Order: sequence, then C-alpha cells, then structure tokens
Amino acid sequence: MRQPLISPNQQIKQLFFPEVGFSSITTQGSGGKVEIGMVGREGLVGAIPLLLGSDRTPHDHFVQSPGEMLAISAQALCGAVDESASLHKLLLRFTQVQYLQTGQTAFVNARYQIEVRLARWLLMCHDRLDGDELRLTHEFLATMLGTQRTSATLAVQALEGHRFIKAQRGRITILNRKALEDLADDGYGLPEAEYARLIEGA
Amino acid sequence: MPRYFFNVRHRPGPAGLAEDREGDELVDVAAAREHALSEAEAVIARDDRPATIRDWMDCSFEIKDEDGQLVLTVPFSDTVQEQDEG
Repeated sequence: MRQPLISPNQQIKQLFFPEVGFSSITTQGSGGKVEIGMVGREGLVGAIPLLLGSDRTPHDHFVQSPGEMLAISAQALCGAVDESASLHKLLLRFTQVQYLQTGQTAFVNARYQIEVRLARWLLMCHDRLDGDELRLTHEFLATMLGTQRTSATLAVQALEGHRFIKAQRGRITILNRKALEDLADDGYGLPEAEYARLIEGA
Repeated sequence: MPRYFFNVRHRPGPAGLAEDREGDELVDVAAAREHALSEAEAVIARDDRPATIRDWMDCSFEIKDEDGQLVLTVPFSDTVQEQDEG
C-alpha cells in the first residue's frame, strides 16, 4: 500500500532525505503494527541504525505522505560522515531528536487519551506538510495511533465536533492548529523544541 | 461483495453519530453483524476511549449499506449476551 524505504531486517542500501512528504517508522508484533517515529524534511530516514553502527534494523520505514525524496547510498553517507566531523555531529543531533520523538510517543501512548494522541499526531503531520490537507484512511490512522478503527473514527468525530479539523472520506483538513496545540498540551512539542535548539540553532 | 458502513452511535442526535466513511466489504448482513460484534469486543478490550464516550455499553453500531439505508443496529452490549449464550 505504502512505498517501502527501509524494510525490517534488510541491509540498508539507501537513506532518504524527504523534501516533500514524509515517512513513518513502525514496529510490529502479533497484535499488529504501531508507529514509533515520523521523519520529514527535517531529517534523514535511516539515520538512527546507520549512524549508531548497524547495517539493518527490525523497524519498518515507508512513505506515509507521498512527495519527493533525495536518496543517498549507505556507503556514500558513511564516507561523508568519516570526512566531516561537523556533518557527523549534526546527524547525531538529529538521531537524538528522533530518540526524543520516540520517547514522546511512548509518553503519550501511556498517558493520554485518543483525542490528545490524535491531535499530537496531526500536528506532527502538519509540521511536515505543505498545506493543511492530509490524505489517509481511518484504518491507517488507527494503525499509526495503535488503536482500533472505531476509536480512531470516534476521535476524529470529537475533533471535528470542535471544528479543529474537517474530515472527509480519505482526507483530514486541519482548520485550527492553535486549538490542536492547546488540546495536545505537553503531549506535543518537546522533541520539536529540542530540534529547534540542537539543529536550527546550530 | 456489498460494502457496509459501521457508524458508531454514542448519544442521541446528529452529534452523537461518528460516521464510518470507509466501510468494509462483507458477504451479507449476517457477516456484517459478526464483524460488528468482533470489532466491539476488540474496542472494549483495548478501551481506548475518547472523552465523548462514558461507557462502551451505551454505544451501538448503526450499520448502513451503500445506499445509506440503515440495515442493522448492533449494541456493544450484545457482545456480553453472545458470551452468555456461549
């Protein structure tokens, strides 16, 4: 359904810099699949395993919102990192932000209700999108949020009832970002603030 | 195969219906009922409840066909009865 970028337990041959659109990182067990990370134009898909010394990972990486990505071979990236200490440090800072993002996902999954998790997830998508419209099914949304489709549908309806979003078949439009930020509260923003400090402020 | 839409009724009135815009393909109404019961069981077990839902037992699936006609209502509480009849 979604274009694969880095498949679980397969040797990483290429890494990807999303320019338009973004990717998801998921983990999977017998009970299904859950999203544990999202990478868009702020980052590099495949950075964590490769920079931390592994040529493969059990996590799945695929295109969530289609667009354009630049590809670089694993070999070329390792060569560039060997030559440039500043590039190496920058990419390690990005892996730190990714680690914080995954930690934040663990936090919201443990502590927050479905509407808050949905609000945070929509904000993360919005950060990586041009425009306000997201194309997705509730089935996919349920997978990303680690819930049942019925719960995803109820959460979408709750946010739509407040006019924070508009939902149509196969798409969600963000109408009020500020309201989503207020709802998400401290569920959203920690990795984003660290990205600004470590990378944009660098 | 016909497509059935599993709208969720959680309170009276238009604001109390969460619309399923995607639906699922199932052979007939009996299969749609089975699907509704197994989804309700999974939803109750996971208990990932938005603030709009006080009790899953107040909810029901209002199953519509492709023409938008209501074909069946399956209360979530039917999952309990099914187990009792066992």
